[in-house]
Amino acid sequence: MEYIGLITGFILVILGIWGFLTQKNILKMIIGFTISDTGINVIIVSISYLKNRTAPILNRPDLLTDTVNKITDPVPQALVLTAIVIGVGVTALMLSYALRLYQEKNTLDINNFKDLKW
Amino acid sequence: MVNPIHIVSISLGVAFFLGFLRKANHNLTSTIMLLAFAANAFISAQWLWAFIYSNTEPFYIFTAGFRPPYSISLLMGRNEAIFTFLINIAGLLSGIFMLKTYLRHGVYAMMAFLGLILGLNIIILTRDLFNFFVFMEVSSIATAGMIILIKNVKSVSAGFKYIVASSLISILLLLGIVFIYYFGGSLNIDDMITNHLLVSKGAEVAVFLVLMSILLELKPFPANGWALDVYEGSLPGIGALLSATSATAVYFVLNKLLAFANPYWYNVVAVVGMISFIGSNLLGIKQKNAQRLLGYSSVGQIGLLLVILGFSNTLGEKFEYIAFGVLISHYLAKSGLFWLAGIVKQDNIKNWAALQKKPIFLFFMGVFLFTLAGFPPFPSFFAKWQLIMELSTAGMYAWVIGILFGSFLEAVYLFRWFGYAMKGEHNDLPMFELPWHKILPVVIGVLSVFGISYISKDWLPGGTSLNFIPLYFIAFMYLIDFAPAKVKNTIVILVITYYSWLVIPNYYNTDIIRLIFSSIFLIGAILTLIPGYLKKGSRKGFYPAALLMFSGLIGLVESTNIYQFFFSWELMTIGSYLLIIRGKYSMPHAFKYLLFSVGGAYFMLMGFGMAHAGQASLSFDILRTGVPYSSIIFLLIAIGFMTKLASLGFHIWLPGAYGESEADVAPMVSSILINAGVFGFIILMTHIPDANIGYFNIPYMLGWIGVISALVGNIMASLQEDARKLVAYSSIGVMGYVLFGMAMMSHLGWLTAITYTINHFLFKGLLFLAIGGVILRTKTFNMYEMGGLIKKMPWSFIAVLIGIITLAGIPPLSGYAGKWLFYNAIVLKGWYIQGAFIMFAGIIAFLYCFRLIYAIFLGQLKDEHRNIKEASVWFIIPQYIIIITIMLFSAFPQYVLNPIGNWLSQYFPNNALVWNGSLATSSLGYWNAFNIMMIVMGMFVVLLLFLLLVNRGSKKVGQFDIVYAAERPERPETTHMAYNLYAHYNKAIGFLITPWITKSWDNISEWVNTIANHTRKIYNGNGQAYALHILIYIVIAYLIINGGLF
Repeated sequence: MEYIGLITGFILVILGIWGFLTQKNILKMIIGFTISDTGINVIIVSISYLKNRTAPILNRPDLLTDTVNKITDPVPQALVLTAIVIGVGVTALMLSYALRLYQEKNTLDINNFKDLKW
Repeated sequence: MVNPIHIVSISLGVAFFLGFLRKANHNLTSTIMLLAFAANAFISAQWLWAFIYSNTEPFYIFTAGFRPPYSISLLMGRNEAIFTFLINIAGLLSGIFMLKTYLRHGVYAMMAFLGLILGLNIIILTRDLFNFFVFMEVSSIATAGMIILIKNVKSVSAGFKYIVASSLISILLLLGIVFIYYFGGSLNIDDMITNHLLVSKGAEVAVFLVLMSILLELKPFPANGWALDVYEGSLPGIGALLSATSATAVYFVLNKLLAFANPYWYNVVAVVGMISFIGSNLLGIKQKNAQRLLGYSSVGQIGLLLVILGFSNTLGEKFEYIAFGVLISHYLAKSGLFWLAGIVKQDNIKNWAALQKKPIFLFFMGVFLFTLAGFPPFPSFFAKWQLIMELSTAGMYAWVIGILFGSFLEAVYLFRWFGYAMKGEHNDLPMFELPWHKILPVVIGVLSVFGISYISKDWLPGGTSLNFIPLYFIAFMYLIDFAPAKVKNTIVILVITYYSWLVIPNYYNTDIIRLIFSSIFLIGAILTLIPGYLKKGSRKGFYPAALLMFSGLIGLVESTNIYQFFFSWELMTIGSYLLIIRGKYSMPHAFKYLLFSVGGAYFMLMGFGMAHAGQASLSFDILRTGVPYSSIIFLLIAIGFMTKLASLGFHIWLPGAYGESEADVAPMVSSILINAGVFGFIILMTHIPDANIGYFNIPYMLGWIGVISALVGNIMASLQEDARKLVAYSSIGVMGYVLFGMAMMSHLGWLTAITYTINHFLFKGLLFLAIGGVILRTKTFNMYEMGGLIKKMPWSFIAVLIGIITLAGIPPLSGYAGKWLFYNAIVLKGWYIQGAFIMFAGIIAFLYCFRLIYAIFLGQLKDEHRNIKEASVWFIIPQYIIIITIMLFSAFPQYVLNPIGNWLSQYFPNNALVWNGSLATSSLGYWNAFNIMMIVMGMFVVLLLFLLLVNRGSKKVGQFDIVYAAERPERPETTHMAYNLYAHYNKAIGFLITPWITKSWDNISEWVNTIANHTRKIYNGNGQAYALHILIYIVIAYLIINGGLF
């Protein structure tokens, strides 16, 4: 059971990339991206998980001694916050691009935006 | 010194602060932004200064009060200082260039820009992997924001493709980084390197993901469709930023992170780079859109940089020099060209002809293009030379071939573009605007190119031995380009005279060969410059080009090692290209000329590299029989020289290049420049006299090439209607004789070749000057439209007469000396079949000689030429100086040929001529030039007197007074049969000159174009397809790497 987070994360990443690469609707592509982004975040959190340990919040007196062996790895949890923020930023940017693209051609089909090629 | 952390604090602080100034005057806010970049650049610069001049220790910046791995650390070392300096300066200059854009879009655009530059600074400085990821994303998001600063469907869709690609890459990067942490337990780069944290199998996959993501950020071919669309669709200023700064920063990161990877990654990087370099440059050939073309070129250059990085261990201590030379050239030239694209505002490369409205911008463009293509004196030249030498030393010839091939492809599209800009039709094109903020960065870019060229040559072994003094003079001539042509002509002639006086006497009595060639190059220069007095106006651009060519030529003579030789060779190529393209219809011919020159030079470079391999020295002595592969070295270098000699197979550029050039440029290139090839062959063959591949003796094959060149060149010359083309084709023929003479590898063979070289210099200069002078009067090149000019232009007639007597080898002039020596040499060598061909070719030479004099000067004067005047005196003066020289050389050849013979005897002691006064004796017979001269002159005078005597009472007949012939012609054309004069010979032997060589070259170019055109269809414009390419690229790379190829 301890790998369930990791496995779920990978499934999400692959599902997301699949959607990203196959959906023709730009909004669905963006959803694909966010799914795989979430998957990555799940992976990050799950690799910090160590069995029988608790969150790295020192709110109980017994955690103050031998702390290192009692808490899970705090670093990925710090990283994931940043990763989430970046994901939100990228998603927002993508959505604003989607809006622009729609304004240009009144369509959200990615196949209609091949003005530049070769 | 200012703590580097302030680069971060200033950028971030200003970016936030600008948020409060939304309503403020944009002039104020943009000034604040530029000041921020200037401050950043200052911080980098002072660290750079400290690292270079006071050997400061690298400086670590620890954040949050902890030491790594518990906190993020930054490092400012020498390389970090260089790279952040480049980034910040590019930020400053781009900011200035795009000032209008920022003024229009306000603070948000400025914030995005600050974010981009900040992100790039941090990814250079940081020692923490996750921090790298964060700021990679910051700069990606900022870039995506800036792509749509221009709002049209192209830029928006390009921007979306960019986000699609970069977010896919970032997913993989993040995955890799997380697992590096998982397996290694640290995010600190130094920690990973010193403690070897990444040795497990799982860690290797993580490292694979991280490094592949970074490689993909560098847009490797073919997973780079998104990047090309961005280059094409965004503002040129953004293109400059992406190409110059983002790529530079990511390249640095790759170098940084390779330190903790398995060493096989260096090979991966090299392979990825080489595929990119060749593939991208191949596809660039089909590009018509300027910005997209620059995109292809950027990808190619980054590919080359990856190859260099991949071989950093092989290159050793030279790595930094080479990588920096290529990088800085790319950085300056690419941003400069993108900026020019922003100024000229023409998408199609053909419309860059608009630059002709402001010729100084053509100069800027030329500087950037020659920098990119690796010509001297620009830093990329030194870097490329060193790279080829080092790779050859390591025996990696396949890579050398790849690099040279890719560079050649790049030269193809860069110089086609330059040709359009220089010579395209520009009357219908609009004048472009020139705001100061767009000019300033370009000018700074150009000045930096020259500044760095000046510094970088000294950092290279042997670099200080390069002679830069002529270049300073050329720069001076360019600065006074506005002056009247007559003034500049006088200055140039005086300076060359002074230089001749300095140089030529040194070789007197010491080195007869260099004496001859320095005389040909320098005195020839003076003679061919004299007609320049005819030009009105300032004749912009002519003198720098001519001087570049002449300084390259004399540089060849003065060079004492292969490095100086190649440097001079390339200078000469630039100069002659710029001269040839000046002709009215010269664009395609100059392009062909350049391609053959570049191709030939790369063959030569490869030969030099092979010779240098394993021998520390650069002197000519490393070219000698006995070194490994000496025959292949010989062949490679010989191909380089044959392109200049226009030997058969490499000749197709010559007729157009010489024929279409300006009247006084034609003698410069045809009678002077072409001798560079002869001089090269002399150097080469004296060092490697014996070259065999298997059973084939290479000189023997060269002899046949010479024979066939002579034959075909002469037949072609006979069938021309255009006088200039006739003389041009004749050069192919004469150079065929020279090559044949050299190939005999005997005393008399070489003596013949050198005699022919001197003769060719004299009579070809004479003929081209005479024909050029005539054409300037008749305004037509076609000989059948001339005729009967003998009485109108007696001086030109005599010059042409002397010229063809010399050319055809008729006694008493020096051409006969050449012929006499030739047949002696052939008989002694025993090459009878070749001798028969040569004799046949010599007879054909009579045909075109006759045609030249008959069609132009004899026959009937045309109506439109009734009032024509003699050719300009500025053309006549050099002709008669040459005629006097021919007379002296013909009467007293011993003063030249005897010393040459003595010099030759050290290489070929057998069958030398014995001189007794003007009497030369070979083992077959004797020849007394002075006596022949006297006898022929005597006969001439007797006959002349006799004719004058018998014609005393004859009646002068008018032009149409030929009633005795029972006809009454009305137009001169009907009595002067000159059009298609040799139709019957054409029928008989015309099949010999079927242009199958031209056709084969055309086919090759057609194939390359077709391949390029089909390959580039993979960039179908669909953002998803581009993302798929990235994924496939990674999967294939994974399979190959883990499949054990590395």
